[in-house]
Amino acid sequence: MARRPKSSRHKSTRREFLKTAGAAIAVPYVITSNALGNADVPPASDRIVMGGIGIGNMGRGDQGAFLGRSDVQYVAVCDVRSGFREAGKTKVDDHYKNKDCASYNDFRELLARPDIDAVHIATPDHWHAIMVIEACRAGKDVYCQKPETRTLREGPLMIEAARRYSRVVSGGSQRVLEDYRALVDQCWGGELGPIKSINVNVGPLSQLCNLPAESVPPDIDWDLWLGPAPWAPYNPARCDGNFGTGGGSWRSYIDYSGGGMTDWGAHHFGGATFAVDVRELQPEEVVYHDENGTRHLTFRYPNGVLLHHNRPNAGNLQVEGTPGEKRPAKPVPSYKGDGGIYGDFIHCVKSREKPFRDIALAVNTVAVSHLGIIAYTLHRSLKWDVATQQFPGDEEANRLLDRARREPWQL
Amino acid sequence: MLDQAFEALKTYDWGADPNLLKPIDDAIVASHGNADLRGQLEARLAPILTTESSRDAKDFVCRKLMAIGTASSVAALAKLLPQAELSHMARYALERLGVIGVPEARQALRDALAGLSPELQVGVIGSLGVCRDEASVPALAGLLSAADAAVARAAALALGDIRTQDAARALATMDAGATAVGSARTDAMLACAETLLAGGNKAEAMTIYKSFTSENQSKHVRLAATRGMLACAGKSE
Repeated sequence: MARRPKSSRHKSTRREFLKTAGAAIAVPYVITSNALGNADVPPASDRIVMGGIGIGNMGRGDQGAFLGRSDVQYVAVCDVRSGFREAGKTKVDDHYKNKDCASYNDFRELLARPDIDAVHIATPDHWHAIMVIEACRAGKDVYCQKPETRTLREGPLMIEAARRYSRVVSGGSQRVLEDYRALVDQCWGGELGPIKSINVNVGPLSQLCNLPAESVPPDIDWDLWLGPAPWAPYNPARCDGNFGTGGGSWRSYIDYSGGGMTDWGAHHFGGATFAVDVRELQPEEVVYHDENGTRHLTFRYPNGVLLHHNRPNAGNLQVEGTPGEKRPAKPVPSYKGDGGIYGDFIHCVKSREKPFRDIALAVNTVAVSHLGIIAYTLHRSLKWDVATQQFPGDEEANRLLDRARREPWQL
Repeated sequence: MLDQAFEALKTYDWGADPNLLKPIDDAIVASHGNADLRGQLEARLAPILTTESSRDAKDFVCRKLMAIGTASSVAALAKLLPQAELSHMARYALERLGVIGVPEARQALRDALAGLSPELQVGVIGSLGVCRDEASVPALAGLLSAADAAVARAAALALGDIRTQDAARALATMDAGATAVGSARTDAMLACAETLLAGGNKAEAMTIYKSFTSENQSKHVRLAATRGMLACAGKSE
């Protein structure tokens, strides 16, 4: 009997396994019309089963985007605030005209569901790393809101988890491609010549919160809201999800956020690093400037490009090119599939490609924010070793790479 | 100004203006590169941990010792490890000291392990993992069979942070047990395999990967194992 060449048969089996192993295939026992699909809605077996963790200000928007897709079956919500949880469930139930959406207080219960393929995460920042890593361990693909990390140590561990389990993990800044497109086209189109520098104006840094204690209302699981952050008494302004960073919101406070440096920094540094094509890199030096009390930074990339932060008299995303040295245009990376960054994620969940804001690119972007925060905190310049993810020979700065997590939480 | 800040710290509590303590932060910044000045600050901060100052005040002190603490503060911090309200913030400083290589900090974490409640043990275990403390592998290995599932899980994850050959071998003998603990063990072993492979120990890495290829493993775990085996064999997808 003729034998098929061993290598090609073996290769096909392996490739096939690797392509399909990451996708859950649901085959219901009772074949309902919903399961069969129709001209507008794919059959159940082709829909990505999703759940949402953190259904507050940003989470509601993410939920709406995924819920509105005919190729997503939204089955569960999780939030430590019962009001958000119930509202999130109601939204899903109303959409599908049933009462089937499950709701959870504890994200671990949602992640334990074998039927869920993917989750979107929009909790406060101090939870992102733990949830992304646990989701990968549970075999889920992840869409995680920006800023994707709270410390420098978290990023490589999130990338590691994603790669270990071949998970699609997308960060969540829709602005990088959508808000800054004109600048991106200009830079990538070559008309500015070799790019020398770009400036980002963003801030402030987050601060220590010392708000007075108030009674914990019945609609929030305070211990779970705090999670890995240091214990502190409840105060509504400590955990408010408004978008301010000057106080009165969790985005203002150091235990949960990097302040504007990470919150809007994820967008602006993301747009800047994309425009000048350094998003696959991290800076190797942060130069600290203090000119009569006006503090600003210069990040130096290995290819010589400079990224300024709050440079005096410079506008946000102001680019310095090389006039007269036009370069050939480069094709601009973009979303795959339809539906913006959400469609890009769903497309990649199906195709197993890396998304536009793959976790590695997201980590590189937010690393700029964290490096900047550490430079401002220490009031000095820093050298950064990207390979080891350390400040070489700088014990003082290396202390700030991470913070101990409150028990029982660990990465 | 600095003396006023330390005075304010004596009665500092939730609701107080954190700007009252800003001179301490300013002094820390100003003391960069000056070991004597920094030592003086540390010597004023650490003793506050043994006073009747509020939890909030001690929280602040631990945050500052995270930034400037040395072996001199370890004893005062270690005393807080068995206290439910302050154990985490003691680790807030000790873990970072352990990471930058202060041996007394790692020893203090190790020494505390046996005497802690399971709830607090989990935290110390996590910190030893973050420190990648190889000396704690035997103790952590012993905790893989702890009656408390959270402790066993934490020990597995910590061994996965440490990722030595001994850590891998300890994990291999672990009874997988409950799902949350089993998932931690799996992840830790895969992490060990990656590090062993990167260090050239293909044989041991392959052994680990092969152990996760059975049909009763989740698809994503089998995928990880298969990719690992391919990497051991020097092949790509």
